[in-house]
Amino acid sequence: MQKRVWRSVLVLAVAFLLVPGICFAGPTYDKVKESGVVNAGLMYNSIPAAYFNDKNEWVGFDVDIASEVIKRIGQSMGKELKMEKIKLNNKTRISFLTSGRIDMSTANMTHKRERDKTIDFSITYFFDGEKILAKKGKYKDHKDFVGKKIASMQGTTSEKNAVNLLKSLGDTDPKVISFQDEPSCFLALQQDKVAGWATDSTILIGYAAKEPGKYELVGDFFSDEPYGIGLPQDDSAWRDAVNFAIQDMWVDGTYMNIYNKWYGPDTPYYFPMTEKIEMWP
Amino acid sequence: MIEPWKRQVQQFAIVAGIALAIYLFFTHIDFGYKFHWAVLWEVNPTYKEVFGIWLIRGLLLTIEISLISTIVSLVLGTFFGIARLSDFKPLYWFATGYVEFFRNTPLLVQLFFWYFAFPLGLPETFRAFLYDHNYELIAATGGLSIYTAAFIAEVVRAGIQAIPRGHLEAAASSGLSRIQALRFVILPQAFRIIMPPLGSELLNNMKNSSLAMTIGVADLCWQAQQIESFTFRGFEATTAATVIYLSLSLTISTLMNSINHHLEIGKEKDLSILDRILGFVVKPFWLLMKLLFGGIERTWKRLRPRRRKPLEVEATYMSTGTAWMERLIPILSLTGKGLFLLILCGLVVSVGYGLLGFKWSVVGDNFRALLIWTFPNGLGGEIFYGLGGLSLSIILALIGLTASFVIGLAAGLGRLSKNPLISTPSVLYIELIRGNPLIMVIFWVYFFSPIITGMQMDVFWSATIAFTLFSGAYLAEIVRAGVKAIPPGQMEAATASGLNYFKAMRFVILPQALKMMIPAIVGQFIALFKDTSLAYIIGVFELTTVAQTINNRLMIYPFEIYTTIAVLYFICCYSMSMVARRLERKYTPEARIEIPAMA
Repeated sequence: MQKRVWRSVLVLAVAFLLVPGICFAGPTYDKVKESGVVNAGLMYNSIPAAYFNDKNEWVGFDVDIASEVIKRIGQSMGKELKMEKIKLNNKTRISFLTSGRIDMSTANMTHKRERDKTIDFSITYFFDGEKILAKKGKYKDHKDFVGKKIASMQGTTSEKNAVNLLKSLGDTDPKVISFQDEPSCFLALQQDKVAGWATDSTILIGYAAKEPGKYELVGDFFSDEPYGIGLPQDDSAWRDAVNFAIQDMWVDGTYMNIYNKWYGPDTPYYFPMTEKIEMWP
Repeated sequence: MIEPWKRQVQQFAIVAGIALAIYLFFTHIDFGYKFHWAVLWEVNPTYKEVFGIWLIRGLLLTIEISLISTIVSLVLGTFFGIARLSDFKPLYWFATGYVEFFRNTPLLVQLFFWYFAFPLGLPETFRAFLYDHNYELIAATGGLSIYTAAFIAEVVRAGIQAIPRGHLEAAASSGLSRIQALRFVILPQAFRIIMPPLGSELLNNMKNSSLAMTIGVADLCWQAQQIESFTFRGFEATTAATVIYLSLSLTISTLMNSINHHLEIGKEKDLSILDRILGFVVKPFWLLMKLLFGGIERTWKRLRPRRRKPLEVEATYMSTGTAWMERLIPILSLTGKGLFLLILCGLVVSVGYGLLGFKWSVVGDNFRALLIWTFPNGLGGEIFYGLGGLSLSIILALIGLTASFVIGLAAGLGRLSKNPLISTPSVLYIELIRGNPLIMVIFWVYFFSPIITGMQMDVFWSATIAFTLFSGAYLAEIVRAGVKAIPPGQMEAATASGLNYFKAMRFVILPQALKMMIPAIVGQFIALFKDTSLAYIIGVFELTTVAQTINNRLMIYPFEIYTTIAVLYFICCYSMSMVARRLERKYTPEARIEIPAMA
């Protein structure tokens, strides 16, 4: 009996070892050129970057940028590329890239060094910074939030930055509450569960526009948030193609057209453009 | 018959073998992923933090939430359980409504409701007070208690109803008062019947506490996610949290099993060494309880007129004190009933008033999206042409249940096998899954599958696999209980008439067992359907995610949206539980399957 058991254990162990570790990670550029399809990851819960409008169409600044980038890469390849939109949230946007489920992630992603260890980024395609949104007329300065609760989203940079901000202002026990998504943060602010909501200012403007006149941004930027398009690690041909596409868009004015469509003066999300996209001659 | 110690050695050898295989699997195969377990104990250079401490902090919070909600739900559950047996109709209706509603809607939706919608209906000052006192924790603990209490109420009701009526009659005819009969005859027996299912409810309660992360409570599950988002070491963090959850579950179930062994009567007590040790540990508490309640009992006895004294005649027995009491009780109970009715009316009116204030057009405009999302105009990359919402939840549950039935059958029969090579892996699978919250299983599949296969599947399939694995373990226990309920003579007869094991199972045992299992399987399906709401965490467009997305666009109508999806979930679950009840009556006239608590 004992002998049979051991033999079976051995067989089981060998069977485990023989399961092949299939690996599909490879040069994305060649893969895209061959298949003609780009899997683009986009958020679905972020206004006005990428969200579902009242007709349940997937629209937003990030959506337009991603499709323009893909169109241009296609032109340089001499081939019409098809864009497959894949839904992302703050939990999935990095792991989808590392596992090869998507080829690019245009998803409100701040270019951070810690993130750069796992994935690569394009040049900065959008310049944002973090601010705090609060009910109008209640708070004047960041100092007023000391000892108060601040909402943020789990898995974002604002979580850490808000804690550091409050600590630097003398708050010994900063109360930053992390939610799973933006709507939950806004709801908490709306119902006075928190005094403020800390995240990238364009997201805040998008939500504040829901109920005009009720909310305001308090204080200055407390961190820079340069957004980059997330790309697979160590894949320079693909990264070059994306970077060149972004620069070309800036040069011929397409970028500003898209920008003004979503963040221009005529929109509820007005956010003046003050920076320039990095150019390589 | 193999000696027990030999069996244990065998089992140990198999567990060690599997552990070795898994170890070799990870060290000798290149997944393109380097494991970095040190992330759990080293000081992270970027953030200057030790992440293991975060996990311990999360564990403490998980224990705190579980303990408080256990106590509250025991009190609430006992009350509603007894109320379900009340003759006073409004109380019965209220209790039934409570139990049915909270059992048949997903906990996640309930938590969203308590946290986001409920405070809006409160007066300003009270709301401000709540918000100042860590309302996240209050909402999570309260919501969890209310949910668990609905399940406990059913356990308590079933336990009391299981006592034959004759006992009450016998108690009455031997001169015990109603309270005495309850105290000395009914409750001690009911307590024994209630204990095992109560134990698994409390275990579920601990596992469900992981959902508190969705409203921003930093429990164990939340901390594991936090580590993932800070370091992208999802696999390591999830594994660590899993081990902690598993040990927590095993502790609770060992404790519960031991209590059950101590309570067993009729049979010869077969206490293992562990039971004895536990008994020794628990003894002081037991004595303390006795001291406390014994004191109460003694004072109670002193206050009551002594019935035993033989010479005191009926006339003196009806002393002034009791007569006064006797007259007071009906008045008290009438006032109580009146008060209760008043409160109930107030509740109904305020709910009705709230519903009238709803902007129903919002629900009307988005109802189609809630049911099918953008089907059939989905984008190219989407599964099922953009199907989502309620119908995707149903599909998720259906695929999950069908696939898990196969796994459940194999694992359930495997666990019954005498060959430890088959039974040990089955036990490991079943207990590993049952010892963890579903949310952890979802994260596993989500972080683990790309490491193994090198590619990420659609989140829908990730979720489906997670639900299948999860539900399979529970179905396995249903199968095991069902097969065990068949008298052993059946198997002997089948073998004697020349059928081999598989034929005997196929033609004799399973057809009978399946018939008995059907109600339990429908129950499992309802649970699975409610659980599909958790797929929201990884962004599957089922009903809860669609509701969130719509709510996100509209922003100012959370009440309308959450109430609508709660009602949608309720309609589906409740109609299924009606079917389950009818099936139960049809198929199980005498035998009832009892799912044992975790071994």
